[in-house]
Amino acid sequence: MKAPAAPLSPGRRESDLLVIKGVSKTYGSAAQGVMAIRTVDLTVRAGEFMSIVGPSGCGKSTLLQIAAGLLPATVGEVQLGGTKVTSPPEGMVCLFQQYSRSLFPWLTVEDNVRFAFDHHASLDRGKTGERCRRYLEMVGLADFRRNYPWELSGGMQQRVAIARALAAEPRILLLDEPFSSVDALTRLELHGLIVDIWSRTGVTILLVTHDVDEAVFLSDRIALLTKRPSVLAKLFENKLPRPRDPVSSGEDPDFLSLRHELLSRVLDPR
Amino acid sequence: MQCLLVSRFPHVISLKSSRRSRLYDSGWTGILLVVVLLAAWELSVSTGTVRSDSWPALSSVLTALVHGATSESWASMFGSTLYRMTCGFLLGTVLGIVVGVLFGVASYVNRVLMPTLEIFRTTPIPAIVPPLIFLLGVDDELKITIVALAAFFPVALNTLAGVRQVDPIHLQVAQTFRVPRLKAILRIQLPSTLPYVFAGARISLGISLIVAVVTEMLAGSEGVGYFIVSMEYAMRADDMYAAIIILSVLGYVLNRLFVLLEAKCIRWARVLHLRLT
Repeated sequence: MKAPAAPLSPGRRESDLLVIKGVSKTYGSAAQGVMAIRTVDLTVRAGEFMSIVGPSGCGKSTLLQIAAGLLPATVGEVQLGGTKVTSPPEGMVCLFQQYSRSLFPWLTVEDNVRFAFDHHASLDRGKTGERCRRYLEMVGLADFRRNYPWELSGGMQQRVAIARALAAEPRILLLDEPFSSVDALTRLELHGLIVDIWSRTGVTILLVTHDVDEAVFLSDRIALLTKRPSVLAKLFENKLPRPRDPVSSGEDPDFLSLRHELLSRVLDPR
Repeated sequence: MQCLLVSRFPHVISLKSSRRSRLYDSGWTGILLVVVLLAAWELSVSTGTVRSDSWPALSSVLTALVHGATSESWASMFGSTLYRMTCGFLLGTVLGIVVGVLFGVASYVNRVLMPTLEIFRTTPIPAIVPPLIFLLGVDDELKITIVALAAFFPVALNTLAGVRQVDPIHLQVAQTFRVPRLKAILRIQLPSTLPYVFAGARISLGISLIVAVVTEMLAGSEGVGYFIVSMEYAMRADDMYAAIIILSVLGYVLNRLFVLLEAKCIRWARVLHLRLT
């Protein structure tokens, strides 16, 4: 049984899933603190793959943490499906950058995945096991469910973290530079995996990254932030056709021109 | 350059394959030293180099040891020491875990009680045996209390450190999956604290045996500690050394058993630790 959808507030479209409204963040006191984000307005539509890029230290991870309900905004608010976010909301999961610190070393791969959902369901262990296997299969690790995370390679560990995030069956996934701590080839594999999962499950994805190529290869739209204190510099529509291929898409003129503009603006933020 | 080094120091290379260096490298070298020392002990008496009532030959100590180890009175003597040690150790460890967790999760408890705890911690435990005799007499109550006090501190302080070092990202993971706070404590705080608790308890186990024997030397007329002191007064050095040898073997075995238990309970922490160091 689903609760009836909240009535649409004025100006909100049905497709708007996550709305960041005039969010500002200052660390420390208002007078002496460091302002990380000046003001950002951003709307993520249901089903889309959006990326946030910006120069190092521009507050993009801070923005994601605010969107995830893990950090309060100093000013402004975040809404998920029309409801104000004050703590991590249902239907949203955040995937962290450091897989080695986000997976629990005392749990097996399967128990790590089970951690995502078994606390609010009175499911029997057989059923939860089936659900774990389903998502581990999705990331190609069904055979490793009895292993411990530290027995796997970095890329495999991040796959486990992805399977765990999916096992919560969220409507929206927030990814905080999830591919930055693996090697270049593994990163390309994980790109393929995440796009595959995105198109198969229909989950909405908001990705924070400093890797412009990654943003262009993966997303539908790209939000470029300025350096600290951040504002939204520009919102790009990515016309690069899908399905995208890590080899040939990188040679597409659309890819190159978007990459050119983004990279030059990230390196010389105004 | 490398070639030059090899040719200039040929003996460095050849040593590696010689029989002598193989003995150096093997784990038997340390055990061999123990055997040599024991032989020296025996010879020091049998050759007449050392003549003293307080320095019996190893062979007579071993005779006393075999005799004692097979007697019922030694069994009950060691049994009573081990009983008090175990009770005190368990009591101190459980209290240590409870207090450590409380101090870790409630900062005001920490603020109020930490100075008191610090004063107690730095007091040498044997020093408080005489005043405690007034309160508890000289029997098990006294000795178990003393052992528990000694075992308490390493566990409490380690547990406190463990509770505090829990990875903030682990807690954020629990938040993003909307895990209720109590469950998050049980499923994240507890397991990540466990390696610290074990480390503290292993120290406490060693201390417990020491303190159990010391209390018996200071008060009452029971246990190995009392026996060793009595044998010293009675000039029965062989029985005294025999009891000491059993004690050190006991300490070694207890530690090994504990390490096995630890490895079984927190295998993941050992593997991670090995990888980091």
